[in-house]
Amino acid sequence: MPADASIPAPAPDAVRPRPGEHAGLLDPAFLQRLDALSLVSRRRVRGRQHGERRSLVRGRGTEFDDYRAYEPGDDYRYIDWNIASRLDRLFVKLFSEEEDLDVRLLVDTSRSMAAGVPSKLLLAKQLAAAIGYIGLVNLDRVDVGVFSSGPGPRLSRLRGRGRAFDLLRFLDGVVPEGATDLGLALRRTLDESPRRGLLVVISDLLDPHGYEDGLLRARHHRMQTFVIHVLAEDELAPRLAGELRLVDAETGRVVEVTVDAEALRAYAEARDAYLEDVQRFCFRHGIDYLRTTSTVPADALVLRYLRQGGLVR
Amino acid sequence: MTLGAPAALWAFMAVPVLIVLYLLRVRRREHVVSSVLLWVKSAPSRSAFRPSRRIERSLLLLLQIVAAAALAAALAQPSLLGWTAGSGDVVLVLDASMSMRARDVAPTRFDRARGEARDVLARLAPGHRAGLVLAAARPLVLVPPTADLGRLAAALAQAQPWDVAGDVRGAVDLATQLVPGGRGRVLVWTDAARASVPALPNVTARVLGTADANTGIVALRVVRDAGAGRALVRVTNFGRAAVRAPLRVTRDGALVYGATLALAAGETRTVGFPVSGSGVLRAQLDVRDALPDDKTAEALLDPAPLPSVLLVGPDDPPLERLLRVAPVSRAAATRETDPAAWRGYDVVILDRVTTGPVPPGRYLAIGTVPPNLPANPTGTVDAPDIATWDRRDPVLRFVDFGDVHVRQALRLAPESGHVLAAGPSPLVWAYDARGIRAIVVAFGLADSDLPQHVAFPVLLANSLAWLGGDTGDLRAGQALEVPAAGMADAVLVRPDGTRVAVPARDGVFSLALPRAGVYRVITPAGERALSVGVGSDTAGLIAPGPSGGAVSSPPVQRVLARLAVWPWLVLMAVAVALGEWALATRRHGGDA
Repeated sequence: MPADASIPAPAPDAVRPRPGEHAGLLDPAFLQRLDALSLVSRRRVRGRQHGERRSLVRGRGTEFDDYRAYEPGDDYRYIDWNIASRLDRLFVKLFSEEEDLDVRLLVDTSRSMAAGVPSKLLLAKQLAAAIGYIGLVNLDRVDVGVFSSGPGPRLSRLRGRGRAFDLLRFLDGVVPEGATDLGLALRRTLDESPRRGLLVVISDLLDPHGYEDGLLRARHHRMQTFVIHVLAEDELAPRLAGELRLVDAETGRVVEVTVDAEALRAYAEARDAYLEDVQRFCFRHGIDYLRTTSTVPADALVLRYLRQGGLVR
Repeated sequence: MTLGAPAALWAFMAVPVLIVLYLLRVRRREHVVSSVLLWVKSAPSRSAFRPSRRIERSLLLLLQIVAAAALAAALAQPSLLGWTAGSGDVVLVLDASMSMRARDVAPTRFDRARGEARDVLARLAPGHRAGLVLAAARPLVLVPPTADLGRLAAALAQAQPWDVAGDVRGAVDLATQLVPGGRGRVLVWTDAARASVPALPNVTARVLGTADANTGIVALRVVRDAGAGRALVRVTNFGRAAVRAPLRVTRDGALVYGATLALAAGETRTVGFPVSGSGVLRAQLDVRDALPDDKTAEALLDPAPLPSVLLVGPDDPPLERLLRVAPVSRAAATRETDPAAWRGYDVVILDRVTTGPVPPGRYLAIGTVPPNLPANPTGTVDAPDIATWDRRDPVLRFVDFGDVHVRQALRLAPESGHVLAAGPSPLVWAYDARGIRAIVVAFGLADSDLPQHVAFPVLLANSLAWLGGDTGDLRAGQALEVPAAGMADAVLVRPDGTRVAVPARDGVFSLALPRAGVYRVITPAGERALSVGVGSDTAGLIAPGPSGGAVSSPPVQRVLARLAVWPWLVLMAVAVALGEWALATRRHGGDA
């Protein structure tokens, strides 16, 4: 059995991002390519303002959606007289209203996100910036917040390209701190703003309390949830050997382990089981899931993998 | 494997201490990871997290344990005992004690030893030499180290145990001198019943024997006093349990004594009974145990034969008169000083004659000293007073020199022998060596009033008895020298009936008496019987003793060798420690 011990958590300096990682989250060329993209909502959403996507509210929009049989009380203006003349039956035309999309970006800024080269947090911030930027240019309502052991700073109700700078500046100022508690963060976030929309969670999901409760809560709020699981290469394949006292960067928990081939084999088995559990959980609950490592460039992720994953088009 | 210092094995306690210290030592490298979640998840089904797993995989700990164990083992000074082809010369030492006749090891201990020694010779590496030493009453080099294995095999085949307590220690000392400088090995086969084998580096012992029960006759003697004879039988129970031993004594087949002796463990009992007549007295003990050879004993009833005496010198009426009545078989007188003329006489009396060197024989020299005796006179002494004499010596028993006056005597300067009577200088001196048994009286009868005293016939009778062949209490293992008296050959008939031709050397017949019993010496002058007893009262002790590092192993396949292992263990410990140090240095920051 591993030897557990509670020791003070490492000093914050030990997990701070490396110098230079805050500078310029997204380069202009990449931003330019993002202008042509939009976020995909798999279900019709109900926005607060007119936007550039169809809402669940039919009737006042300009984009034809469907026909249905006339019912007493329907607006005569929407009766399709051409069909009535041909079929001798009354049908009304249905139009979708174009409303804005409520996009919430939730970025894990716990200390574990400082791991990796480049760090997981940098990639998370770049992804959040890119997705948020796409939402802003499409007149979606973008909320971006960070969390660790609870909800952190948050930037709400961003709309329009003009708020892109605010978004980038906010994300650029984020530093890793605290331990991960996804459940608490999502509960508070959704309690404060229960409106349905697109929820993008960017995290390493290394949550000692478990990731399931938080994601289930989002599901309960009928949020379209997209989880981007960011891991470091060292977490997938630790390059360790010998007699080690492994110290958890977030909790300070200590595990004494003799790292040899057998131990690494056991770790790989535990890793695979964990990742498979995450993937199966997301699939079972209709949560979109994308796993990546911090070494994958953000532009490739957005332009290729998020497109394939159906988050952007 | 034998250990020179077994107490040093406690040093092995350093190994568990080392392991405990290793476990207690904080040597883990601290490493910050983003999360220990997956490490914790991997722990339950795997052994990588067990503390003992550190021991299993730690090469450094293993090296440290090996080094410590090697050092601890070296402190115990181990040496290997093994039958190997070996190298160097080999000297085989066979214990020839009577106890080696014990049959608890089939066929006998000695035969088993002989067989194993023969195997050693068969496995001897080419070009190496082997020798053979017999641990009899005294150490005997049967064959000095030689490459002639045929000669060795023949000597082995002829070797037999004696009725003695073998001098194993002396034999081992002698054997080690045959392989000086530690360039060879000494292999000893013994039962160590009386003494363990010396613990010497190049000596290896093979202890034979399992039984300790033995009851045997340790002595059978006939003593005579004023014509009456009395037999004495001494029986000892060498075992650790009481026994009842029926004893029968016969003379020429007729029972003369019978009794059942109840002997406690370790008890010795002597029984005596009167005997008369002549012949051979035979005692027999009806006890069954591992050593049947000491259940019988023989002794002569016949008194010692009277000697023949030749008087050489000028006329000496007192002496001549006395010789006519003295206990001699025949007496004659001559003036011939050539020893060749003295043949056929047991005792020659040299009375005031000057002779050349005398050959081996029995001599009573009166007023003269043969030049080859180590007591050359340095002059004369006038009116010496016989101040002291040894009344316990058989020659002077019942002799009283108190009133004897001497006018002049030779001033003897003996270099050996022993002085029986002395005044200002030795006056009566006895010598028994190199085949010559002699008594020198430093004064002539005419120069003293000795013939007028009772001491004179008593001294003469005692002297003739001592010189005349009374061999005394002979014991097995003794070498008896009998004057050849001019004869070239004699035949020795041993107790078992075998006959051995004994040539005369330097005027004497040297008779080897390895066994107890009645021997017969046959010469052209006649036949003479000798009664020989067991060589030692402890010869019948058969309980195998401690070996002092010996082994008890299956029959010999190769040469038995003792190899000191500890130097190699020390080297190994040093090498492993250096390796551990190098590895720990190389793995700087690792789990060293």
